[in-house]
Amino acid sequence: MAISKGVSGKVIPIAAEMPDEVMISLYEAQKKIYPRSVAGIFTNWRWGMVWLTQIIFYGLPWLDWGQRQAVLFDLGVRRFYIFGLILYPQDLIYLTGLLVISALSLFLFTALAGRLWCGFACPQTVYTEIFLWIERKIEGDRASRMRLDKLPFSLEKVGRKAAKHLVWISVALWTGYTFVGYFTPIRELGMEFSQAALGPWEGFWVFFYGFATYGNAGFMREQVCKYMCPYARFQSAMFDHDTLIVTYDTERGEPRGGRSRMADTKQLALGSCVDCSLCVQVCPTGIDIRNGLQYECIGCGACADVCDTVMDKMGYERGLVKFSTQNAIALHWSRQEMLKRLFRPRVLIYASVLAIISIGMLVSLSFRTPFKVDVVRDRGVMSRIVEGDKIENVYRLQIMNATEHLQHYKISAGGLPGLGIESDSDESNDLVFIAPAQSKWVTIHLQVPEETAVPGSHAIEFVVQALDTPDHVSEKSVFLVPR
Amino acid sequence: MLGKRQMWIAWPAFLMAGVLEILVFSMLDPSNLDWFGAPLEISRQGIYTIAFFVFWSITLTSSALTTLLSLSPFEINRCPLQASERPDGCPKQEKHC
Repeated sequence: MAISKGVSGKVIPIAAEMPDEVMISLYEAQKKIYPRSVAGIFTNWRWGMVWLTQIIFYGLPWLDWGQRQAVLFDLGVRRFYIFGLILYPQDLIYLTGLLVISALSLFLFTALAGRLWCGFACPQTVYTEIFLWIERKIEGDRASRMRLDKLPFSLEKVGRKAAKHLVWISVALWTGYTFVGYFTPIRELGMEFSQAALGPWEGFWVFFYGFATYGNAGFMREQVCKYMCPYARFQSAMFDHDTLIVTYDTERGEPRGGRSRMADTKQLALGSCVDCSLCVQVCPTGIDIRNGLQYECIGCGACADVCDTVMDKMGYERGLVKFSTQNAIALHWSRQEMLKRLFRPRVLIYASVLAIISIGMLVSLSFRTPFKVDVVRDRGVMSRIVEGDKIENVYRLQIMNATEHLQHYKISAGGLPGLGIESDSDESNDLVFIAPAQSKWVTIHLQVPEETAVPGSHAIEFVVQALDTPDHVSEKSVFLVPR
Repeated sequence: MLGKRQMWIAWPAFLMAGVLEILVFSMLDPSNLDWFGAPLEISRQGIYTIAFFVFWSITLTSSALTTLLSLSPFEINRCPLQASERPDGCPKQEKHC
């Protein structure tokens, strides 16, 4: 029998030589997980969050604000509408701020109570929960589903499977449609859809997002959390021994073992764990919480819920599996003692940074000027001498009205002696009016008298003054005088 | 294993393509784009879509190269053992690897 040698010189054992020993495979074959349904407080919380997030997600695009969709990230015209707020691509800083706030919130909640996001609000969990509910309604609970999958091909099996996939696909397509409805007005989209006149790109994204939902919530499920999600991989960076996590009280539970309800655990020298394996059966990622904290655990609390029902049946105290901290379990802390440790430096730092950035963003949003100006020098004309011995430069100004009302603006320029806006030509005008949430390109001809002009490049400044509000915006540019 | 590798390649690439898409198009209006001197005759939505897949294919290539270079010698070199003699856990025990 050949023995191959590894690079490090270690002998790699060969299965044939050690038939009795089981090797732990690094590349385990994926077993299908059939999560059992469960009821309890965490399950209620999760369903509460499913309803809340999905009412918002499916409902928001249908909400109107005046004449338009209240929340619309209109990619076609490059404007974001969020209720009364109108954002232009130039407002990217607010998106950055929002991302920083989201990240910090995630850090804060993770430090406080582990992977709350994963167990209760992540779309992967929420849609898996919805798809599992559909599966359960059509194929039955865990045992029936496992039986159905083992059954040979039959009319009933095909019927149930087809029904399930049909409902799944409908939900997925509706989800895709809603998603695209955030980027294209959803009512127009619906009209186009009903007339089979859906634009090719919108149509593509409805199906793409729908397909992703169908695949992720119907098939990939826990694999997404285990192999695709980076968050799970760096959870330990945010965890400490005072973080609330789903924990199994080893001291109380072990030694585990089956027994009758009447049996005296002391006499049998057994812990509270009856080894019913229900905590494993309900787990959406198929792990055993009794092995301690694992990166696969999404903190959904399904095992805690099911264990409580078992403890109730056995007449034992609840909480063999519960949300607790590693310190509280090890040091037998009371609830009060455990909660006191919530306010520790890590949490306070995350919370204060989060508060500062959130306040900063709110202040900046409320004080922002409700219009924007971009100045571009005309590409065709560098500088020219025009009638009346004047030197002229041409600029194009884009003025973006970020309010819900028609606005009037007056453009002026300064920074050079004798600098003025030429107003005789048809296209150059220092008075501009712009419709609500619209933008306009304005051509401006700036002139200086030739005798006062010094050759070279001069810094100048455009000032756009809103006439209906006290706001103004200044934008720098240059004026070129030829030699 | 092949499935997992494909996820490892496709998913981070997808995320980064999304980031690129946001960064690039917040600064650039697709209607200002030229294609070898001529204006592109595709809608903004079309350009967003095509650009997303161009970004994704580039980030996919990067992820794929990382995955390729992270293969161990055992996964690349020819194995002296028959497939049936390979130990449990050997990546070459599975097909396609």
